Amino acid sequence: MLKIENLTKQYGSKKAVDDLSLHIRPGEIYGFIGHNGAGKTTTLKCIVGILSFEAGEIHIDGNSIKTEPLKCKRELAYIPDNPDIYEFMSGIKYLNFVADIFEIPENERQEKIRKYGDMFELTKDLAQPVSSYSHGMKQKLAIISAWMHSPKLIIMDEPFVGLDPKASHLLKEMMHEHCKKGNAIFFSTHVLEVAEKLCDKVAIIKQGRLIKSGTMEDVKGDDSLEDVFLELEAE
Amino acid sequence: MLRLLIKKQLAEVFRNYFYNPKKNEMRSKGAIVCWFVFFVLLMAGVLGGMFTGLAVMLCKPLADANTGWLYFDIMSGIAILLGAFGSVFNTFSGLYLSKDNDLLLSLPIPVKYIITSRLLNVYLMGAMYSATIILPMLIVYWVKTGLSFSKAVCGIVLFVIITMIVMILSCVLGWVVAKISQKLKNKSFITVLAALVFIAAYYFFYFKAQTLLQNLVMNAQLYGDKVKGSAYWLYLFGRTGEGDFAAAAIFSAVIAALLILVWLILSRSFLSITTSSGKVEKIKYVEKDVKRKGAFTALLAKEFAKFTSSPNYMLNCGLGILMIPVCGVLLLVKGSALLPLLDSVFGERSGCTGVLICSALCAMSSINDIAAPSVSLEGKSLWIAKVLPVTPKSVLRAKLSMHLILTLIPMLFAVICGAVVVNASLAEKLLMCAVALLFTLFSSAGALAAGVKMPNLNWTNEIVPIKQGGAVITAMFGGWLVVAAFAGLYMLVGYKLGAVPYLGIWAVLFAAGFVLLLRWLDTKGSRAFAEL
Repeated sequence: MLKIENLTKQYGSKKAVDDLSLHIRPGEIYGFIGHNGAGKTTTLKCIVGILSFEAGEIHIDGNSIKTEPLKCKRELAYIPDNPDIYEFMSGIKYLNFVADIFEIPENERQEKIRKYGDMFELTKDLAQPVSSYSHGMKQKLAIISAWMHSPKLIIMDEPFVGLDPKASHLLKEMMHEHCKKGNAIFFSTHVLEVAEKLCDKVAIIKQGRLIKSGTMEDVKGDDSLEDVFLELEAE
Repeated sequence: MLRLLIKKQLAEVFRNYFYNPKKNEMRSKGAIVCWFVFFVLLMAGVLGGMFTGLAVMLCKPLADANTGWLYFDIMSGIAILLGAFGSVFNTFSGLYLSKDNDLLLSLPIPVKYIITSRLLNVYLMGAMYSATIILPMLIVYWVKTGLSFSKAVCGIVLFVIITMIVMILSCVLGWVVAKISQKLKNKSFITVLAALVFIAAYYFFYFKAQTLLQNLVMNAQLYGDKVKGSAYWLYLFGRTGEGDFAAAAIFSAVIAALLILVWLILSRSFLSITTSSGKVEKIKYVEKDVKRKGAFTALLAKEFAKFTSSPNYMLNCGLGILMIPVCGVLLLVKGSALLPLLDSVFGERSGCTGVLICSALCAMSSINDIAAPSVSLEGKSLWIAKVLPVTPKSVLRAKLSMHLILTLIPMLFAVICGAVVVNASLAEKLLMCAVALLFTLFSSAGALAAGVKMPNLNWTNEIVPIKQGGAVITAMFGGWLVVAAFAGLYMLVGYKLGAVPYLGIWAVLFAAGFVLLLRWLDTKGSRAFAEL
């Protein structure tokens, strides 16, 4: 579903991501962990086409993000760490805007808006301007908009930040449900307990380089993910 | 600490002069100097030049009639109007709506320092506009009447007094706007409506001013005596410019007192206004049937939603939407009086009326620079356009389309009005229409290209890209320079060709310019947008 091969991204002379390769298969929930500034967000932004990159290749469902960005973007959804959504729109206008771009039929979009809006208890606020939303409400709106077009791949940057416990729980359930259908999710997080419980696989990045990846058992063995992470960080 | 805040404030205003966002690096010293020289030339050349002409017209006759103080009153009045008009709505957003309010208020910074740094910003913006009148006013007076120590010192004091009045007026009006804004539901609409009433009043007096000024110059002594008798403070104010130390001292004291009063009001209300979320009426969501839009229509609708949600955007970049048709109506109503006047002045240059009307409408078209800040206004939401399955080309085309829809339609109406009233051949009338419409296409593409080349996505207040961005300044003044070349060349040599061939040449030039710019936007411009 997502194949990253030898990805290198530089900011000036500094390598933010260095020769990173990863393969995420359909049905997998893949966690991405690393310290602040390790290159997680840069990698995610390269995958979704926000940032260009100097070397390597990224394929989404067999299409290159470099040469066929539109095909790739039709199959993915992205939730940034800070959901800066158009503040001049109301929640419902934003969702309809996204639905229009993805050409989602009227009935299908209304059904999804109703379903996810009710699930996150956001329906009653959908007519309000996004500028009046709290961080958590914006995050919920970003999640609903990401799920609208049933993407094959969802990329999320710290998706649990700002969500209340109930919404966090719902999101985890949605992630499982989405991947059971043969889709994939790649997300970054600092909450190692969440990664440990939620992910099928995990990748650890340090100073732009991938230092460990694989199934949760392969990476942590009998230790906790936190112990493994701290040990690798100390090396 | 205060110095740090002021530095931050100024760094934000002039960020694009020091920093190249495209290359993500500081500009070279040479480039910084060039940017500032360009800015000064635009301000001094276009605005300053216009008001130097007015100063030259008024100064000598009024000074000769021993009413130099009246000259200072008139020019200062215009400076105060322009300065306050230019910054009243910025004052509100500049003082209260900055995105770093929460951050600064959470830091151990005294609130008075935050207010001071914001006030300094308001002062500089007002001073920038009013200086384009004050400086020509003083220089022309000194040249015409001779410079002395008292005139020089009092002239500088007058500069400070006027710019302070501008700031005080902006603050008071900004405060009123802020207070009303807290209680309004349809803020955007009402703010724009209030501003338009203000602008209409401004232009009403502006058009009356020509007759009034001529009358005033002819009867300077009579009016001078009347003003002196009924409003002695106006006489005193003008005397400051003439070098009267006592008058300068009195007005300095009055301004200082007003400044303290404004400071007290602001410092008492700043926190409550800044931290207030206003009266937001809860809108109940009711599920409605929606009609599916195509991707491009959705992008275009998004651009319109952004435009209509921001009074600052509408007022600063879309004034032409109203001004252009007003010009058309004025041409229909006043054309019969205006055209013979133009003929009598430029009569020997055949066809000049058509070219001049066309130039005036093109200049009006340049007031609409909607596309120029549209890229910067994406701000931190730019990720949405980059992540959705839409090409950069279609995002840019949506921005351009909104500009064109809002400018071409009024322009078509106005230029048809112009063609109806002008006494010219059918070919000339058609070419007039073609030139005005092609210029609109050219200038809109130019505005968007400037927006792509000079983006500022890291603003903390949207007024920065809307009003102070390099793209906006380049688009508006660049458009005016092209119009000046179009009209000026006709007056110098073009009339020898005749209006029809001359208009034909410019129609081809504008069409070619538009095609080239559009091609650039579709290729390199789109790539540049994708790299932002």
